[in-house]
Parts: sequence; structure tokens; C-alpha cells
Amino acid sequence: MFIHNLKYSFKTLLKNKMLIFWTFAFPIILGTFFKMAFSNIENSEKLDIIDIAIVENDEFKNNEIFKETFKELSDDNNEEKLFDIQYVNEEEAKELLNNDEITGYLIIKDEPNIVVNTSGINETILKYVTEEITQTQSMIENVAQNKVEEKVKDIVAGKIQFTSYEEIYKQIYDEIVDMLDKNNANISNISSSNLSYTMIEFYTLIAMACLYGGILGLVAINQNLPNMSNNGKRVAMSPTPKYKVILSSVLASYIIQLIGIALLFIYTIFALKVDYGTNLPLIVLLACAGCLAGLSMGVAIASVFKTNDNLKTGIVISFTMFGCFLSGMMGITMKYIVDKNLPLVNKLNPASMITDGFYSLYYYDTLDRFYFNLISLLAFASLMIVISILSLRRQKYDNI
Amino acid sequence: MKNVIEVKNLTKEYKKLKAVDNLTFDVYEGEILGLLGPNGSGKSTTINCILSLLNFSDGSIKIFGKEMKPNAYDLKREIGVVFQDVAIFDELSVYDNIDYFCGLYIKDKEARKSCIEDAIALVGLEDFKKFYPKQLSGGLLRRLNIACGIAHKPKLIFLDEPTVAVDPQSRNNILDGIEKLRNNGATIVYTTHYMEEVEILCDRVIILDKGKIIASGTTDELKELAKIEEKVSVEVKDLDEKYIEDIKDLDNVEDVDYSNGLLLITYKKGKNNLVELMDYLKKESIKYNKIFSERPTLNDVFLELTGKELRD
Ligand SMILES: Nc1ncnc2c1ncn2[C@@H]1O[C@H](COP(=O)(O)OP(=O)(O)O)[C@@H](O)[C@H]1O
Ligand SMILES: [Mg+2]
Repeated sequence: MFIHNLKYSFKTLLKNKMLIFWTFAFPIILGTFFKMAFSNIENSEKLDIIDIAIVENDEFKNNEIFKETFKELSDDNNEEKLFDIQYVNEEEAKELLNNDEITGYLIIKDEPNIVVNTSGINETILKYVTEEITQTQSMIENVAQNKVEEKVKDIVAGKIQFTSYEEIYKQIYDEIVDMLDKNNANISNISSSNLSYTMIEFYTLIAMACLYGGILGLVAINQNLPNMSNNGKRVAMSPTPKYKVILSSVLASYIIQLIGIALLFIYTIFALKVDYGTNLPLIVLLACAGCLAGLSMGVAIASVFKTNDNLKTGIVISFTMFGCFLSGMMGITMKYIVDKNLPLVNKLNPASMITDGFYSLYYYDTLDRFYFNLISLLAFASLMIVISILSLRRQKYDNI
Repeated sequence: MKNVIEVKNLTKEYKKLKAVDNLTFDVYEGEILGLLGPNGSGKSTTINCILSLLNFSDGSIKIFGKEMKPNAYDLKREIGVVFQDVAIFDELSVYDNIDYFCGLYIKDKEARKSCIEDAIALVGLEDFKKFYPKQLSGGLLRRLNIACGIAHKPKLIFLDEPTVAVDPQSRNNILDGIEKLRNNGATIVYTTHYMEEVEILCDRVIILDKGKIIASGTTDELKELAKIEEKVSVEVKDLDEKYIEDIKDLDNVEDVDYSNGLLLITYKKGKNNLVELMDYLKKESIKYNKIFSERPTLNDVFLELTGKELRD
């Protein structure tokens, strides 16, 4: 019975032109479009060195990490030179910005602030670099504190011999310098791939394709529920329990969705030459979780709302598009703005979970952020599944 | 006679509207029961309640002596339903459509295959097995819809207006098919608003209006309910007013209408009406072309009981 249903679910879903368009063709078309539209930007962008100013106040002078990093990023001998920097006071910086002589300026008052006039690629890069440095800084501060505590504990516990303060500080210092080197690599990574402006587009493209799988789930549910379709009435009247039919349909949807995503990866990697980084198993894992999130969202929407197919499809498509927009599909600036000002929105936005997961694999050495996104996706999917089950438990209907 | 379905005090309300109002009736084994009523009289709602698809406010349903419930899978196995709206997959061929739905009942492939072939033969779709629904005419689509509902050889079959908007050829094919199903031992509940079909097909009829049973019985029993005995039409040219007045005075005549060369006489209960009329026409040497007599239809019964036509 299960195999029978599975077979026919494949047949019906794969022959549904609307489904095939949204889940297979549309992402590929959009990807091709991205490639054409952004390949020029990408090339010219690489040559750009960004003019900025830094307000040289006491706080900046005392901030070793900022001072050193910006010095390095503006060093003429550095192949990955990113900035031309003028060190000025605040008044001068404002004037330079107003005269459009610089993209923006950095001023550290309590916190590092970036002041820009417009939003664009250069502005975004400046903001990203600054944010990256800020993160590094707070990480180092944390680490330093932990290290000291660690050492003290170790000494108290007798694990290491107390020799002299100088000796201990030296050890801590070495360990931190070690970390700093690693993080510098991170920042130069950003500059060398010039934030790979188009990468975010492709991440959101994958996210979109995953979430569009919701349409498959939606159709799979609609055709099996008596209050949603005439075919569903037949299913409801048969001696095959509803959950069996629905499970096989949803499974078929998931498999089709994975095939679609696989095709999209193959197409973007081999035809469009998109580089997703090196961690392929994790990329696949995240895509699978993304598909599950999309599918379960479609299933939930289909189970809860009693309207026609087209409207439900519209809901899935607009939700997906909006989510992708917030996570940077129409420009990375959007992701930056939302991450910064409404962090909760993108924490709850499945498109952003997928995009950010890929992003973190590409830009970070540690996997914490990746796993956070992965778990968020699974949590989102679970929530959707619970909603679906609650609403699918109904056996009889008030009207059909 | 064994009861296959027992409906007791079934009441179903949509928000404010009472779509089905305190229905009680039985369906006997081996019969074709017609549910006759105009659009909106509650036929589909009644069926969907019996099938346990709809919640109902009151009443009880027993099928084969057991209470009908959404998870009464043993009962569902024996039931076939042809819903009012065509329920098939556009993406599947004729054969695959039947195979899919039949597969929800019958696991064994060989057994299923023979069932499908039988169903296809019953509705006469042998030449269209590989066709897709889009390539079928409305009538053929309806036939496929029926095949999908009955392929698993159910003992109890519900057909909800299976002939709506169907060409005459397909209609005859469908009515023949239903007759065959009954002859093979199935019990059938058939809803329609075409009284002609009920007269041809059904052993017993329940007439519904506004969710209530207004009459039930065999066609003949129902026709007894009509006050009129027959309607006689005569094609006659230029009939003088005085003859019309005379005819009005003949025995049993209820009403006379003359227009466009057609004389229409309605008779109350009574015998030998036609003979008397013909004698009169002969006596007065009135020339006429055709003359024919009609028994009252179920429409007349409906008109009688509700004051409105069955079909709008
Ligand atoms: N889902 C529904 N919600 C509200 N009213 C309905 C619904 N379905 C049917 N009705 C109303 O219930 C009455 C009976 O409908 P129905 O059973 O479909 O009649 P029939 O099948 O005899 O044409 C009609 O007045 C119809 O408008
Ligand atoms: Mg109806």
C-alpha cells in the first residue's frame, strides 16, 4: 500500500507543471540571471580600494586590535589591501564624507561606529570588516579572561607549576597571539573574496529552492484531505488510514525536493562555477534540513488554511520570497540591516537560517554558528510538523 | 428484506442553515434507492453525513448493522462512492487513475488488475485506457469518475448526481452500468434531480426538499399522490372557443389550455378520459393531427407537494 501510494505520488507530483516550474526550473533560471547580472560587479569590485577615514581619538589610539588591523588592511605591501585611510579628527571626517571623498569613516566612542551616507557595496564591506574586528576583539577579551582563570585554577589544583607571573603572562600572550593570527586570516579572507557579494545571492537562491519545496508539501496534503479536494474525499472513504497516505505523499515530495536541490547544486557548481567552499557534507546536510523546513511549512499551511490551491501556493511563494529578501537575496545590505537591527527576525526566518548557515561555513573556521542555524531549521520544521499533526488529527469536518 | 443502511433522525446544520432536517430512512439490500430533489435540497449533505465525512448535529447512521465512523475501515472496504464533483488526477492516465484509487482497497496486483478491467468494461472506456483526463469529453470523464469509485467491487455504492451535464450517449451508458452493478448484487443509493432517471432506474424513491423528506415509495406509489390522472395533448388547428368550453365540461377535466394549435387537457382521477374525448371530437367533426396521453410525472407530484417545479 505504501509503495503503491509512493509510486503514484511521484507520478502525480512530477507531472504537475506548476510544481516542476517552481521547484526545479525557477531557481535555475534565477541562478542564471544572478550570474549574468553580478559577474560584472564582481570583477570590477575586486579592483576597488575603498577610501575611508578614521577618527584618531584616544579611544582609537588605545585600541590595539583596531589600530593594527586597519593598518594591515591599508598597507601598500599587502596584496589584499582593502582601504586607503586618512587619519583625521571628527570634524574633518564629516567634511570628507559630505564632499564624497570617502565612503565612510570609523569613530570609536564606547563602541566602534561606522558613519556612511548611502548604502552600497563599499559601505557594506566597511561595516562587515568593522563588525568582524569588533567580534574578534570581544572574543579575545573573553578568551583572555578565561585563560587567566584557567591558569589560576590549574595552579591551585597543582596541575602546573607556578614559576613567575612573567612566565604565566607569556604563555597566555602566546596563546592569544596564536588566535589573533587565525582571526586575521578570517578578515583577509573577507577582503580577498571581497565579501563575495554574489555568494550571498546564491545562498539565498538555495534557501529559496528549499522553501519552495513547501509547494510540493502543500499539493501532497491537498490531494489527500477531504475538505481540500475531491480526490481527498476518495482517499478519506478508502480503508487505507489517512496518515499512511499522507506520509507516503510527503515522503515522495521530500525526495523530489532533494532531487531538485541536487540539480540546482550541480547546475550552479558546474555551469555557473559557483564556489560553495569546501565543506560539502555539511552543505548537503544543511540543504536537507532546509528542504525539510520548507516542506513542513507547506504541509502546515496546507493543513491549517482552507482555501484554494492557488492562494496557498501564493502564501508559500510570498513568504519564501520575503524571507529570502530579508536574508539578502536582493542585496547583502538587507541582510546586514536586518541582522543588525532586527536580529530576532532573521533568527526566526528559515530563509535566513539556511543562508546564514552556508555563510558561516564559508567565512568561519568554527562550526558553532553553522550548528546553531542547523538546529534552528530543525526546530522550525518540528514546530511546523506539530502544527500539521494537530490540524490533521481531525476526522470529520463541519463542512467540506 | 435486510437493511443495509439505517438513518435515524439525521440533522445537519451549516451555521444557520438546516441543510438536512431530521431524516429517517432505510436502504434495503439489493435495491436502487433514488434520492430525488432540486439543487440545494440536501442530497449531497445527506450522503456525506452517512459516509461520516461531515459532522452532524443529531442522529445516528448504521451501515451493515454497524455504526458508521471515520475509522470504520471494515465498513469502508465494502463501500464505493462516486462524488458529485469529478475526483481524478489530471496527471494520471485513465488506467492509472483507476489503479491508484483501487489500490487503496486492493493490495494484490493481479486481483486489482482484473477489477480495473471489469470497471473499464462496465463504463465502456476500453478504447481510452491510455488517455489522459484532459483528452476526454465531459461524458467520458464522468464515466471515468464512476469507474474510480466502483472498481473495488463494493457491496454498497453511493452515486451523487453522476449524470449532471452528460451527453445522452454517456448517460445511457451510465444508467446501464448502474443497473448492471445492481444485478451483480450491489445496493445502490442514487441521487439526482432528473426525475426521468429515477423513473427508469430506481426501485424506491425518497423525495427531498429543503432537507426534509416530503414523500417516499415506489414511483407508482408516488404518482398516486398526484391529484391528476393524466395529461392529454391534441394538435388541432383553429379550435373554436365554444368547443373549449364544451371540453371543460367533460367528466374529470381539471383544466384546459389552448395555444399555438396545441390543446392541453389535465384530468383529475378517473377512467376512460381519452375515449370520451375522442368520442366528442368525432361527434363535432373536429379534425386533429396527433393526440397523446401522459401519465403524471414525479415533477407533477413534486409540484403538488411543494407548489414549485422540481427543476428551476
Ligand atoms: N459547505 C457548506 N457551507 C454552508 N452551506 C452549505 C455547504 N454545503 C452545502 N450548503 C447548503 O446546504 C444545502 C444543501 O446542499 P447540498 O447538500 O449540496 O444540496 P444538493 O446536493 O441536494 O444540491 C444548500 O442550501 C447549500 O447551499
Ligand atoms: Mg449535490
